[in-house]
Amino acid sequence: MAGVSVTFTVNGREVTATVDPRTLLVHFLREHLKLTGTHIGCDTSQCGACTVHLDGRPAKSCALLAVQLEGAEVTTIEGVAGPDGMHPMQAAFKEHHGLQCGFCTPGMVMMGIDIANRHEAPDEATIRRELEGNLCRCTGYHNIVASIAAGASSMRG
Amino acid sequence: MYVGQAIRRREDERFLRGRGRFVEDITLDQPIAHAAFVRSPHAHAAVTHVDTAQAAAMPGVLAVLTGADWTAAGHGEAEGVWPVKDMSGADSRTAYRPLICVDGVVRCVGEIVAMVVAEDRHQALDAAEAIEVAYEEKPANTITAGALDPDIPLVHPAFGTNEVMVTEHGLKEETEAALANAHHVTEVVVPTNRVTAASMEPRAYLGHYDRVNDRYTVWTTNQAPHIVRRYFTKSLHIPEHKLRVIAPDVGGGFGMKLYHYPEEGLVLWGAIVCDRPVRWVGTRSECLLGDTHARDHHTVGRMGFDENGKILGVKFETLAAFGAYESQWQASITNAYHFTMLSLAYDIPAIHTQVRAVYTNATPVDAYRGAGRPEAVYQVERMIENGAQEMGIDPLELRARNLIPPEKFPYQTALGITYDSGDPPVLMGKIKALADYDALRAEQARLRAEGQWMGIGISAFFDMAGAGPVKMMNDLGAKVGCYDVASVRVHPDGRITVFAGSHSHGQGHETTWSQIAADRLGCDIDHIDLVEGDTDRVPMGIGTWGSRSLSTAGMAVYTAADRVVAKAKRMAAHMMECAPEDLDLADGEFTVKGTDRKLSFAAVANASYHSGDRPSDLEIGLEETSFFDPADCTYPSAIHLCVVLVDPETCAVTLRNYWAVDDVGTVINPMVLHGQVHGGLVQGIGQALMEECAYDAESGQYLSGTFMDYAIPHAEDVPSFGLDAHFTRALGNPLGAKGAGESGTIGAPACICNGVIDALWHLGVRQITQPMTPKKIWRAIEDAKRTQH
Repeated sequence: MAGVSVTFTVNGREVTATVDPRTLLVHFLREHLKLTGTHIGCDTSQCGACTVHLDGRPAKSCALLAVQLEGAEVTTIEGVAGPDGMHPMQAAFKEHHGLQCGFCTPGMVMMGIDIANRHEAPDEATIRRELEGNLCRCTGYHNIVASIAAGASSMRG
Repeated sequence: MYVGQAIRRREDERFLRGRGRFVEDITLDQPIAHAAFVRSPHAHAAVTHVDTAQAAAMPGVLAVLTGADWTAAGHGEAEGVWPVKDMSGADSRTAYRPLICVDGVVRCVGEIVAMVVAEDRHQALDAAEAIEVAYEEKPANTITAGALDPDIPLVHPAFGTNEVMVTEHGLKEETEAALANAHHVTEVVVPTNRVTAASMEPRAYLGHYDRVNDRYTVWTTNQAPHIVRRYFTKSLHIPEHKLRVIAPDVGGGFGMKLYHYPEEGLVLWGAIVCDRPVRWVGTRSECLLGDTHARDHHTVGRMGFDENGKILGVKFETLAAFGAYESQWQASITNAYHFTMLSLAYDIPAIHTQVRAVYTNATPVDAYRGAGRPEAVYQVERMIENGAQEMGIDPLELRARNLIPPEKFPYQTALGITYDSGDPPVLMGKIKALADYDALRAEQARLRAEGQWMGIGISAFFDMAGAGPVKMMNDLGAKVGCYDVASVRVHPDGRITVFAGSHSHGQGHETTWSQIAADRLGCDIDHIDLVEGDTDRVPMGIGTWGSRSLSTAGMAVYTAADRVVAKAKRMAAHMMECAPEDLDLADGEFTVKGTDRKLSFAAVANASYHSGDRPSDLEIGLEETSFFDPADCTYPSAIHLCVVLVDPETCAVTLRNYWAVDDVGTVINPMVLHGQVHGGLVQGIGQALMEECAYDAESGQYLSGTFMDYAIPHAEDVPSFGLDAHFTRALGNPLGAKGAGESGTIGAPACICNGVIDALWHLGVRQITQPMTPKKIWRAIEDAKRTQH
């Protein structure tokens, strides 16, 4: 394996590594950086459990190669909480029972933050439409929708 | 009191912060090797040659293993814990799912032929591709409906038939007589589609063998870790005390993660052979193919009514899919959970059912959320709906006339099961009000006049939850004792660790078990921690499945906590120089009744471990264990009602409204309860409208191998839900609680299908098989037009 060097920022910290060119971003995050909150739930970028923020927009880390990220800024679920506790979107998921098994949850929270960033006060139909790239098998979405609406509201303050 | 409160979940923060710990996240001191598998691409074939030489020589490869190696090592198979029972008493034709192909024949796509263990994932996958396997294809059948037809290929020719076994239950002669004398008889062919759980976390296993200490460890995506040890006594012949099974955070299971899958045994085998920890994490394609599938009944039903719509009798003949092999819990469906529940919420005097289980060249079928009850509800409710429509009686009114009245409880069904408590007419009244039923019917008539197709679907049922007691479940075929276990350990500082034999994989036991324990122990909920999912730490357990954890493990927590309190009261009474009966325990303090004398629970806990001044017959320590065998199953009930809109242009179904009224007895945490119902509903909606494990009938190839092909519902496919409840106490456990995990999945498929049929009845449509895709709906409408002209 001829390694390729890549430098980018993850959760505010610069990372330089030499990686096998076929390494996916999600594997790089999980195995090289031990950031195991980003999950793999499918092989075909349907489920969204691997959603991270790439330069401020949501991206499926299973559909990116680590070597594509030179100079990029990546935020994972481990990077969204502030020093004073959980991010308002994380807190909303807890308050509104927006998770059960917790496996899709990091991707849902990352997507929820992005929905809140792009919509002033997202209504139910908007949230459901925006979740087209994220699957959950436990909650039936009812409480995820409620969580994102509430999280968006508290993010606006 | 914590019980009854919507306490926010104590496990949530780790998942929300990305600190969950799933099997794929586990790290060890030693580097972990990776396994990859070579799987059969054919539905039925002889394996004529396996060449592993090239693969074995590839970089990083530690071992290449085949069925011949498995046999040479003397390993075994995964024996059933709920094996089939044939009504004739003859041996059923059992062929357990092999961990790896050992007899030179593969019988379904995906069956494992060889395993590679290598230093990293890519090396393992590359080497697996380099293994050459020669197959000689044989004719295959993946269709349940035709499995017993003449000239259908035999999955196991040694049996001379594809039939596994036959069972019959109920009142045969009475049912025949009822149908013969009925004013009206409805007949419908009601197949239930083959689906799969598709938990978001793929299955994954990590095996480790400590050669020096002769100890094995398996980290597994499993719902019942103690049962995993039992499987390994048969597959790798490991004694139970030598094997530690750890199920860490498990990302959804829905029954599907109960079983001893081939990869689980093979990963530990690889670890033994290579003297290295070995992990396998399933890809979604491997899981959609190799996870147990579910349902897949082909049923013909006949229901007889009197002139007022009262059901006189119902008869079913079912072919039940096993797939290519018998999975470990298969017969919990065919021999326990399906036939028993065919009376639903109705007072039906005569029921008879015959089930013939069959082998096909498809993935093995086993229990998935509902396990037999979604099939039963679909079968019965489709009869009732068509009967009501045919007789011109309002479908809700016809159901109301047949509900079991409250004065008949405990109610023994025609199948011999006794529902301990319930009040279906109250549930019916509540859902009628919640949905504003009469207004919906008026809207339907108005829309129909405008050419819009609106339908109202209904289903009403009982569930058999809370698997136990041991004797009853043994009688229904279980070889595992259906009790559960908890230990309550009070530490010397008065804080508490609860150990439970259940295993939460989304249900929230860290919260709900703590609510129960805190109430019994009179302490702050934050003084309690829960341990589950580790056979070295939890004494014993039967696990989380069949909506059983609360009424078994939860009651073991309750009982063990009460024993702790009884013992602590003796110590406290000794310290306070009073009688134990004079003491109350609340808010972390013992109080002598009628006085202001107090002693903290923590002081008593400390003295229990460290004081020599104690009653002479009181043992040191403060820890109690309960093996709780419930007095009965629990029988939750529910009524569902939905509104569907079928687009006349595209035939797409929009599920506009969904209401459910549940009776689950005493509620521990209403927030968790609602979450369980929501999630179950959407799985049931998926079964009704979009999910199907499809096979190509000609080649036997599996067609649903990715989330692009196997459609589970998205957020936009479903509405928000309207829930209500009415509670009657369960009689079989001290809290009066009933199971709540499966209600949504059990009732939704029938409810939605009835809604679609109701929307299209005026067009002549009488039945559409699930999933009710636009294409099938369009075809049903076109067929109806042709029939009418």
